Amino acid sequence: MGKTIIEKIIQDHTQDEVKPGKIVWMDLDIRSARDFGGPNVAKHYEREYRDEPVADPTKTYFTFDLCVPACTLKYADNQQICRGFAKKHRIAVFDVDKGIGSHVLMEEGLACAGKTVVGTDSHLNILGAVGCFGQGMGDVDITFAFKTGKTWFEVPESLRVTIKGGFDWPTSAKDLTLFILKNLGTEKAALKAVEFLGDSTTNLTLSNRITLCSMVTEMAGIIGFVPQFDEPFVQEILDFSGEKMMSIQGDPDAEYSDEVEIDVSGLPPQIAAPSSPTNVFDVSELCGTEIHSGFIGSCTNGRLEDLQEAVRVLKGKKVKEGIMLKIVPATQKVYAELLQEGVLEDLFRSGAIISNPGCGGCAEGHIGLTGRGEVQVSTGNRNFAGKQGKGLTYLASPAVVAASCVRGEICSPEDL
Amino acid sequence: MKKGRAWKYGNDVNTDVIFPGKYTYAVMEPEEMVRHALEDLDPGFADKVQPGDVIVAGKNFGCGSSREQAATCLKCAGVQAVIAKSFARIFYRNAINQGLPVIQSVEAAEAIQQGEEVAIDFQKGEIIAEDKKVFSFPSFPDFVLGILEAGGLIPYTKKKLSKKRSF
Repeated sequence: MGKTIIEKIIQDHTQDEVKPGKIVWMDLDIRSARDFGGPNVAKHYEREYRDEPVADPTKTYFTFDLCVPACTLKYADNQQICRGFAKKHRIAVFDVDKGIGSHVLMEEGLACAGKTVVGTDSHLNILGAVGCFGQGMGDVDITFAFKTGKTWFEVPESLRVTIKGGFDWPTSAKDLTLFILKNLGTEKAALKAVEFLGDSTTNLTLSNRITLCSMVTEMAGIIGFVPQFDEPFVQEILDFSGEKMMSIQGDPDAEYSDEVEIDVSGLPPQIAAPSSPTNVFDVSELCGTEIHSGFIGSCTNGRLEDLQEAVRVLKGKKVKEGIMLKIVPATQKVYAELLQEGVLEDLFRSGAIISNPGCGGCAEGHIGLTGRGEVQVSTGNRNFAGKQGKGLTYLASPAVVAASCVRGEICSPEDL
Repeated sequence: MKKGRAWKYGNDVNTDVIFPGKYTYAVMEPEEMVRHALEDLDPGFADKVQPGDVIVAGKNFGCGSSREQAATCLKCAGVQAVIAKSFARIFYRNAINQGLPVIQSVEAAEAIQQGEEVAIDFQKGEIIAEDKKVFSFPSFPDFVLGILEAGGLIPYTKKKLSKKRSF
């Protein structure tokens, strides 16, 4: 019997028998904690293991991205707790200047195809974009992973999603992702590893794949992989991370629990209305809804290409008077690219507010909180009630957010 | 067998409404965590929950962030188990790792009503509701049962290691 992608990666990291439903002990190539979860990991560790060393400091990291730099005393204290723990155990810290941890792990070549990585970020399965098995976990799990370099895991079933057809500007990878969410809901991919196949996936850039894989969490899936690595994509990852990564493919005779085909030919821009990422409509259906603010960033849409999409709409235009457009690049590396490409200046001239790299508006408590009655259009991945404040959040692509901020109401770039 | 009352909720109950993000680092003590449990979903829950009570919910319970406090606050409130049609992956792990049993049963999740008296036989894999309604669920794999009995992942592995066996 052949193996699916997830089964191959897990088998490479365990002595146990790998088949769906079996619980195995899995070796972890990288274990990480953020400023969210991290302080509890440090506290749990000291309570449970006192001064005992971590399994391997060179495979253990802190990544600060949630509240950077700290805007509350509690976060400042918590980051200090992590720094203290890191110093004691000789663990490297990607500190408050570096940006979103999951992206930094990819940029640094630490999260690679075929590797296993855990951390306290529920979107760590985003690493599927480069063929890496990333998984977000709770504090006890990560404490245990720091100490032992292992975790227990129930081997998931796999779902094959074939994407048919293509689409053009202003439709983007985010619209594709929202449309897949509309089709799969929170049931079809639940607790499964998803393999996205089909000719049109070959053309997806790394940023596109990051967008798609980031929202497998919202599909309730374990992880998503896009196994079509053609030559330009292999080169793109090499330039990006310094690592040559080869794709891992599912075997032709591997067992999939289900197969789904989704036709995206001529797909128009999509938008998820409050308060669920699966509550997806065509943008044209909600056109004209008044908004007060926009957010472009997050692990889903915070890369250079995403912000270039926004600039394509914003260049030569202005954010409407009274509307606030908040921009948060994913990482320090992206910030440097924005400077180099002149994107930062274009964004500034359009009237946007530009923050330092991090999770920004996705994380309640830092730049981008919404007030009661405020309506926000965001490129983030969740619009649950209370997630980004007390206002209402719609989820859309960078181009749709940019266009909506120019007009002051939900619209597609084509409507401008 | 401990008996308790059912607290019934719908689909996609997310971690933001189970334990609001704003308290994740402001509130660390168990008793205080209980006071905010389900605050944005059912403001009456924290005051009225009794040890042995059971949460009964629809599909994808605990979706959203990785915050462990969502499982911790229910465990500290004395909730003996969460019964749902399905669970979100991270919540499911967090609950087991902290010794909070999570039971997947579509039938029980549909049939049990708000306030109904429920008892659970973990050995037999049975949920006993009012009017002698019994719902079977597959018993936990030995590994998971071991963690639940030890009170969580870390105590379980320490116990295993002290017997000089690998875990």
